[in-house]
Amino acid sequence: MIKPAVKRTVDMQILADWVEPRSRVLDLGCGRGALLDSLVQSKDIFAVGVDLEFDKIAACVQHGVTAYQGDMLEFMRTFPDGHFDRVICSRTLEEVADPAAVIAEALRVGRAVTVGFVNHGYWKNRLDVLLHGRKPRNDVYTSEWFESRPSNPVSVADFEHFCAAKGYRLVRRALLRGDWRRPCAFAPNFFAGYALYDLAK
Amino acid sequence: MNVAEDHPATATPAPGEAGLVEPRDFVSAEPFTFESGQTLPGFALRYETYGRLNAAGDNAVLICHALSGDHHCAGRHSPADKKPGWWNNLIGPGKAVDTDKFFVLCANVPGGCQGSTGPSSPDPATGRPYGIAFPFVTIRDMVRAQKRWLDALGVKRLFALLGGSMGGMQALQFGIEYPGFCARLLPMASTARESAQAIAFNEVGRQAIMQDPAWNGGNYPKDGGPRVGLAIARMMAHITYVSDASMDRKFGRKKKDGATGDAYTFDVQFEVESYLKHQGESFINRFDANSYLYITRAIDHFDLEAAYGSLEQAFTRVEAETLVLGFTSDWLFPPGQSRAIAQALLRAGKRASYAELDTDLGHDSFLLESPQLYELVRGFLA
Repeated sequence: MIKPAVKRTVDMQILADWVEPRSRVLDLGCGRGALLDSLVQSKDIFAVGVDLEFDKIAACVQHGVTAYQGDMLEFMRTFPDGHFDRVICSRTLEEVADPAAVIAEALRVGRAVTVGFVNHGYWKNRLDVLLHGRKPRNDVYTSEWFESRPSNPVSVADFEHFCAAKGYRLVRRALLRGDWRRPCAFAPNFFAGYALYDLAK
Repeated sequence: MNVAEDHPATATPAPGEAGLVEPRDFVSAEPFTFESGQTLPGFALRYETYGRLNAAGDNAVLICHALSGDHHCAGRHSPADKKPGWWNNLIGPGKAVDTDKFFVLCANVPGGCQGSTGPSSPDPATGRPYGIAFPFVTIRDMVRAQKRWLDALGVKRLFALLGGSMGGMQALQFGIEYPGFCARLLPMASTARESAQAIAFNEVGRQAIMQDPAWNGGNYPKDGGPRVGLAIARMMAHITYVSDASMDRKFGRKKKDGATGDAYTFDVQFEVESYLKHQGESFINRFDANSYLYITRAIDHFDLEAAYGSLEQAFTRVEAETLVLGFTSDWLFPPGQSRAIAQALLRAGKRASYAELDTDLGHDSFLLESPQLYELVRGFLA
């Protein structure tokens, strides 16, 4: 079994391929800045992160990652159209109050938007609910329902339906199997553990 | 010719403390033209330093003080000194601003009254204090005067510049005025332009001073002057530096010891009344009323948007990396004003972070003893 810590680096490797060198990148829900830090190292990007917690921002600052403490929607609204080359929303979308507004605003301020999420339709997650009738808990969903932040679980099918309904273009996608390593080519809503998309208007 | 008078302090500091420090005077004998167009034949700035400037001259950290602050930001002037410098909790060996690593400097601003040239200094033409004949001072004047001093000390580049409130204004202005000179800016509880409310509070303070008959158009003897007006100005301003929650925690409705049982008098009855009275009284013994007028005016006039067309325009010259710090309970310079600084810097394509500390201590939160604050500062200076 792959440790969550290793899993956290999976999208870093894929994003390192997708992100243009020296581009201007905004990371929504940047946490302690690990993703941006790695992208600064590998791609020499101009990075900005947003997060809600003081300690996360302090960790970013300590690592030399530029970060802003505050609400991501309010923050994005202060920028002109197309200010960022890319807006990244990695494992954040499930926790925002208004995902549609966040994506719409990200597509306004960013020329490209990258969304990454844990596929809630993954068969093990389904089985978990089916057998135990409880909130899925595994490598990815490690906390009890009463200890976790509010979350809108999203599946590959949910997200692609959303993009179709909004008319967003799926420029690129990377679907990974349950090990978050090997690509998932077949029935991704059932077999993909993790999904990454590049969107454009 | 600029002359830095040297009185080296000789004392072994206690671990973690800046130890004994002695203020020094920088005297510039070259004329100085203020933004107003008024001039002085020269000026003095009183300052203190902690730690040592390295050979490359690039480990200097400048501290800029707030309205009623001064150059004494760390250490003690004598072993018997009860109160250390105003930012002693932040500055010292091994502290967040580590004096083992950095050469830390702080100067009293021009227009001040703690040893730098200001309205209480004698006008060489008359021998009497300048009073309101002293040139109007702006934040930019403060910055330009300090640059002259730093150049004379051999500081080639500031590793960082930290300031709270008006000190933060100086930090921003420094970053604009001398872009290549500042590597890092850390304005706390600051603003790029005050709100009407903050100007209003300053104006009440000024009116308290100027309506005091002893102000006498700014002409008063050194130990006289509008003591009542200045004390009232300070009492009112002090309320704006704290918060409803922090005052309630500290004083609540506690009665002053020895207050008479009789509620039907106007004598001091509540602890908070007695505290403010003490604040006012101790202030008049260390601050000059005319300096209060000048410095509050400088703060009120500071407006980077008006001066440069827009905040982004103001920041286009900045080369420093900036960390803006706001405090949730600051209702004098509310956190939104700090956010606006960080946002404008980012829009201008500059590296700027924004952190917001959740405290209930109001505007003066930047002086707070907070491990979170220390870690943030330490991390930024790492």
